[in-house]
Amino acid sequence: MISNSSRRDHEDLRKTVVFCLLVLFPPSAWSTVLVQWSNSQLPPPSSLGVSDVVFSWKSRLRPSLLANARKQGYRVYVEAPLQQATAAAEEGARAGWTGLLLNIPESERKGTRTAATRLRSAYPKLKFLVLGTIGKQPQMRGSLVIKNDSVLEVSSPTAQPWIDTNLAAIKVEQRRNQAQVPLYTFAWVTSKQGQQRSVTASDYSLAVAEAGAFHADVVLQLDKRLQRALTNHDPEAWALWSQVRSTANFYSDLTDGGLQPAANVAVVVDRLDTRDEALNLLARHNIPFQVFLAADLNAVGVGDFNLVIVFAKPDKVAAEHIASLVTRGKTVVLVDAHSSYPWHSNQPIQLNEHTVSYLLGTGKILELSEPVTDPEAFAQDIRRLLGKRDALLSLWNGLTSIAVGYKDHSGELKAIEFVNYATDPIRVQVQVKGSFTSIRYETPEHGCCQSLVPVTHDSFTEFVIPELRIAGRAHLDSQ
Amino acid sequence: MRFDNRWAAVLLVSLFSFGPSVQSSDRQILVYQKKYIMGTVFEIAAYSGSSEQASFAIEKAFHEIVRIDDLMSNYKPESALSHLNQSAHFHAESVPPDLYCVIQQAVQFSKLSDGKFDITVAPLVNLWKAALLGDSIPSAAQQQQAEACVGYEKIALTPPDQISFQSACLQLDLGALGKGYAVDRAVATLYSLGIYNAFINAGGSTIFAMGSPPGQTSWLVHLRDPSHKVGPYVMLSNESVSTSEQSAASLLRRDSVGHIIDPATGRPLKTEFAVSVIARTATLSDGLSTTLLLLGPMQGKSLVNRTPDTSAIWLSPKAQIETAIYGPQILFGKL
Repeated sequence: MISNSSRRDHEDLRKTVVFCLLVLFPPSAWSTVLVQWSNSQLPPPSSLGVSDVVFSWKSRLRPSLLANARKQGYRVYVEAPLQQATAAAEEGARAGWTGLLLNIPESERKGTRTAATRLRSAYPKLKFLVLGTIGKQPQMRGSLVIKNDSVLEVSSPTAQPWIDTNLAAIKVEQRRNQAQVPLYTFAWVTSKQGQQRSVTASDYSLAVAEAGAFHADVVLQLDKRLQRALTNHDPEAWALWSQVRSTANFYSDLTDGGLQPAANVAVVVDRLDTRDEALNLLARHNIPFQVFLAADLNAVGVGDFNLVIVFAKPDKVAAEHIASLVTRGKTVVLVDAHSSYPWHSNQPIQLNEHTVSYLLGTGKILELSEPVTDPEAFAQDIRRLLGKRDALLSLWNGLTSIAVGYKDHSGELKAIEFVNYATDPIRVQVQVKGSFTSIRYETPEHGCCQSLVPVTHDSFTEFVIPELRIAGRAHLDSQ
Repeated sequence: MRFDNRWAAVLLVSLFSFGPSVQSSDRQILVYQKKYIMGTVFEIAAYSGSSEQASFAIEKAFHEIVRIDDLMSNYKPESALSHLNQSAHFHAESVPPDLYCVIQQAVQFSKLSDGKFDITVAPLVNLWKAALLGDSIPSAAQQQQAEACVGYEKIALTPPDQISFQSACLQLDLGALGKGYAVDRAVATLYSLGIYNAFINAGGSTIFAMGSPPGQTSWLVHLRDPSHKVGPYVMLSNESVSTSEQSAASLLRRDSVGHIIDPATGRPLKTEFAVSVIARTATLSDGLSTTLLLLGPMQGKSLVNRTPDTSAIWLSPKAQIETAIYGPQILFGKL
């Protein structure tokens, strides 16, 4: 007979061995949650379920805090501004930190790659990761604002985003820094409608789910009271954290099997801007797009995409590429890019006050003569332009949800990640392009996997997710 | 299947309370919660001496809205409305009192507006919804076929709870009224639980202001202003405001297809106006806002005149203003 205490010891030993193995031989995780910590003590990493801990640059003044974290088995990162990077690297190399998170403002990102390369070669044992700091707290939001003493401006530039999501910013980061999985952080909105509110388990879980579903890494800023409560073994705090941890495990348990986000819309820009509202609304409307720079048009081409939106002014070579794409049946939308193009010799069709269309071969070019004034209407227009035939993924009753499909190297859709920003369970109907015979659905709450019934017709498959709370994943198989 | 209904939420709402503190004034605590129901974000802000009491009441109010949605959704196959739509053709069906009440009020709106407001317009809405999602414009034959299924006169109401359809293809859609009714039910729930000062916002398109913030006599609500120049606002106390507006114009299409269909033409309504209506109940403001958008200012003013304690404003992107004030004042200007 095994006593309770020896069973517990055995269990603890097993956990420790598994944890050590994971630390020694970390698999390439799909998404990593790093925890920003400031409290003087840390729970052990096996309890927290997180191996990467981030301290502020100021924390170097408390070397014992960082040394203890290392001793406990954490991978220790320090967040430092670019100006302090060399000093921080010097100190980090000496103290055995895992790496630095370089906090570089959006406006100063241009020279980042050179700076990071220089640092990497000078300090080869340290990791240098670029941290995006303009993320926003993911949430479903309302339109009501209550304030004293001032007139309110409630609405965003668009009438109906209803959710704050980081998806567009992540897509921009994916193009900006292809050598690194996008890594970002954000500050919690803790004052709402005149109320101070605590960050809840659902808030943390949604943030973790969002990063995981979109294949990004996130630095989670933990409320100081929660840090203290976790350190003090507060059962309520640990109950909260256990929910967050199960969501984090849902993504960290998944290895990067070479899956890539599926996209059939190419968005070409001349400047990478994570705050671009038009991109934000495309993401919000579940339009699967990939971001390119104007120079990519000539280098890599966007021939595999059904629709290309160009927010840049194409040069002569790029214009010829566009003409060639359109001739082969693609649709190109050119936004506010006044110039003389080869297709202008064709008969223009005036669609409305601001838009002219040109037919070329089996495709068409639409020229919008002004910037996108209504990103919501623009995103709906793009959905319509794609039409039913080219809609990779559609959700019904999914106004608060975002879904991202992932394909394997052969281009076949293998999985769809879902995030529900309302965090209340909803029933979502999904239509996906392709014929699939098996849909297996898993969630952080119920694990893997529930079989869902696929209904296929006209090269599309429909299925119903009975309950999407915050995060879910559908595995698709076509046998 | 549930389609996006985002274009319904067109009222740009802002409100603020004057006074020393919103968070806690005269020991009144503000509790705010939101929930996604009926394809939109419902928000409730309630003042109470006890945050527990306010939280409990808000939760109950949300439950009530969910209950109404479960009755009146035509996206839920198990709803009472879906059942009615399947089985009431030439056959009287008993329906729950809430559903009977809403359909009865809808028929009254239809009569008042000479059929401009019509909850039987669903076949036409569905036909044009496909066009909104990218399909081609419906053919004349398709339109004719759908129009044959439309007509509120074909709804037979037998008190206290019997409804039948005198047509083989009649379908009801309570989208233009159901949200308002749900807001009224939420108001009743809050009252019954001792909450007298609260604000309910159904996705921006329908609002009810209960009582007032502490130390104030009313709630200030900014109305939708497509011109961004006029700045209309109202002071509400135990009143509702609803706004209707056709979907935003397409940037990339020749023909913009909106979600509000004119039963008289069988086609999407063409208007640049946004209409806001202030009335005693949310059911009334919700139903009237769609009706007045369809009627336009000329005929609409006459209807407002015949409806006690009601005011309305039509506002265009070029700042053309038409008003009908037979209830609360509509004020203008930047605050």
